[in-house]
Amino acid sequence: MVNLDNEMDLILAHKRAMKLCELTGFSLLTQTSVATAISEIARCAIEFGKSSTLTLGIDSIANRKFLVAVIGDKTDFSQRCFEACSYARRLVSDVDIKRTSRETQIVLRQQLSFSGTLTEAKVDSFADYFKNEPPISAYDELRRKNLMLQDLAEKLRASEEDYRMLTDTLPVMMFSVDIRGQIYYTNKWLQDYFGAAPKETSAAAWQPYIFQPDYHLFSKELTGSILHQVPLTGQYRFKEKSSGEYRWHVFSIIPLKNEKEKISQWIGFLVDINGQKQIEQALKDNRELKEIQDQLYQNQEELQKKVIELNRSNYELEQFAHLASHDLQEPLRKLFFYSDVLKKRYGLLLDTTGMNMLNNMTAAANRMKELISDLLSYSQLQKQNLRFEHVELNDILRDVVKDLDLTIKEKNAVIEIDNLPKVTGNVLRLRQLFNNLISNSLKYCKNGVPPHISIVSRPGTDQNTIIVRDNGIGFDDQYSEKIFGLFERLHTRDKFPGTGIGLSICKKIAELHNGRITAHSVVNEYAAFEVTLPELEKA
Amino acid sequence: MDDDLEDHMMLDEYFKEVGISDKVTFLKNGQLALQYLEGIEDSSELPKLMVLDLNMPVITGSQVLLQIKQTPRLRNIPVIIFSTSENENEKRKCLSFGALEYLVKPITWEEGDRIARRFASFAE
Repeated sequence: MVNLDNEMDLILAHKRAMKLCELTGFSLLTQTSVATAISEIARCAIEFGKSSTLTLGIDSIANRKFLVAVIGDKTDFSQRCFEACSYARRLVSDVDIKRTSRETQIVLRQQLSFSGTLTEAKVDSFADYFKNEPPISAYDELRRKNLMLQDLAEKLRASEEDYRMLTDTLPVMMFSVDIRGQIYYTNKWLQDYFGAAPKETSAAAWQPYIFQPDYHLFSKELTGSILHQVPLTGQYRFKEKSSGEYRWHVFSIIPLKNEKEKISQWIGFLVDINGQKQIEQALKDNRELKEIQDQLYQNQEELQKKVIELNRSNYELEQFAHLASHDLQEPLRKLFFYSDVLKKRYGLLLDTTGMNMLNNMTAAANRMKELISDLLSYSQLQKQNLRFEHVELNDILRDVVKDLDLTIKEKNAVIEIDNLPKVTGNVLRLRQLFNNLISNSLKYCKNGVPPHISIVSRPGTDQNTIIVRDNGIGFDDQYSEKIFGLFERLHTRDKFPGTGIGLSICKKIAELHNGRITAHSVVNEYAAFEVTLPELEKA
Repeated sequence: MDDDLEDHMMLDEYFKEVGISDKVTFLKNGQLALQYLEGIEDSSELPKLMVLDLNMPVITGSQVLLQIKQTPRLRNIPVIIFSTSENENEKRKCLSFGALEYLVKPITWEEGDRIARRFASFAE
């Protein structure tokens, strides 16, 4: 089919008609006649019609085959070409005018004198010939190219639409960057996520969108990637506009090169990996937890071992202390016996010096006895041997004061006892504790100053503190911890006799009650001992 | 009965003072003590009092005590435990086995004298 718009088309119509006649085996004279008839009608159609067409074909009617040319137009151009029609009738076998509501057609027929059969395949090969027919003119070429171009533009537009639709629906963020670093394309996903889009690929342009702690690394890696023109893939957190949440993404940009191996643009992707990252973190946490747990088990085992060791050594120590004090009493007892028998039977034979020596010997033996008895009582302080009950501390203190009555009177001491609380404890041991403290206060008093001892309580949140305070010689505060150590003494024996076990016993008793004891003092002013005991257990 | 021969001598000094030295037999271990008791055929000849030290090799004082109290023929002999130190556990145990008293060995002459007189009271 040929469109009949202008002169160039007329030439084309003539040429195509000639060619078909030639292909169908008409003589040169018939070729010219048919082509002229077709040209004549076509010329009229171009002149009077609007967007006319020429269709060339082969038709068969009752076993006779015809070459058919149909020139059609929307307007009834046949009215204006009677002359051309009558001319054409002389040149071809038949000229017919068909009018329909849509189109007016002038049909020219020329019977074929084609020898042999004209098959469908043959007709198709003719059609193919025209399809592949080389351009016959610059115009035809231009026209064809123009049509191709329009077609391509249409396809491109469709493809671009496809691309945009594709990139908009993919669950990734995409962007394209030109060689100057300007971002010229972003998909919908990216725009929705960020609320806006960075304008360029510089790290600074991304700063408002990235999690600050990740920015330093991002900036370094992005700058490096652009500088060396190599792809970058990294994991950073980016802020989601809608939730304000920073989510982990894989950020990658890839340089695209043209045929000349030059970078023409970059494309970038951001893929949300927050879920994955969380699982990763959970797994890592889990692993760390497992490790900590293992470590804990190990520590526990070691602790268990140490406790067993400690218990054993504690037990051995107690056994030792007990046996030692027991076995130490044996020779001591004999020493007493012999010195007593010596004094009793041979006392008259000794002079004063000899008698003094014997007395000193007995005094030394007595100190030894005291030491052993204190050590024994210290070694016997064990939790499992204690019975705990509700105890009125005021009762305890009353008993202690009664026990120390002789010394208190002797020293003219004043003892003030506050209203004390009820505690959970062992009567005997608490009595021992306060007896030791008050005895100490009575013992370490200033020469010529009657001891004044106050026992007050200070309630705490879940504990009670009992303070025993005196007006005695006190001690240097730097020794406030040391004085609780076993055998620790701050004075020489000739000034203040003692074994250095008394306060150790107090400390042990406080600890057996899940409490503690501390001391504070100013030399020559006072000494204060604070015993802290847990609050009454509601049994 | 005591494994410490020096203690025998010391106690004997107290016994001399109260005049019962000749009525006391000293034995130095539990085995000998049990043998001694077995050797007495006439029940009326059995001791009027047994005084046992606790800490002894081979058979301890409390074992001897138990043996005596489980033997019908010996059951009625009064037994006093005479130990170097006060030990609540031992004391409770011995008293539950049937000991009459638990005494700690004396330190002063006066204590020793008092104890000797207590022992002598059984000899009458």
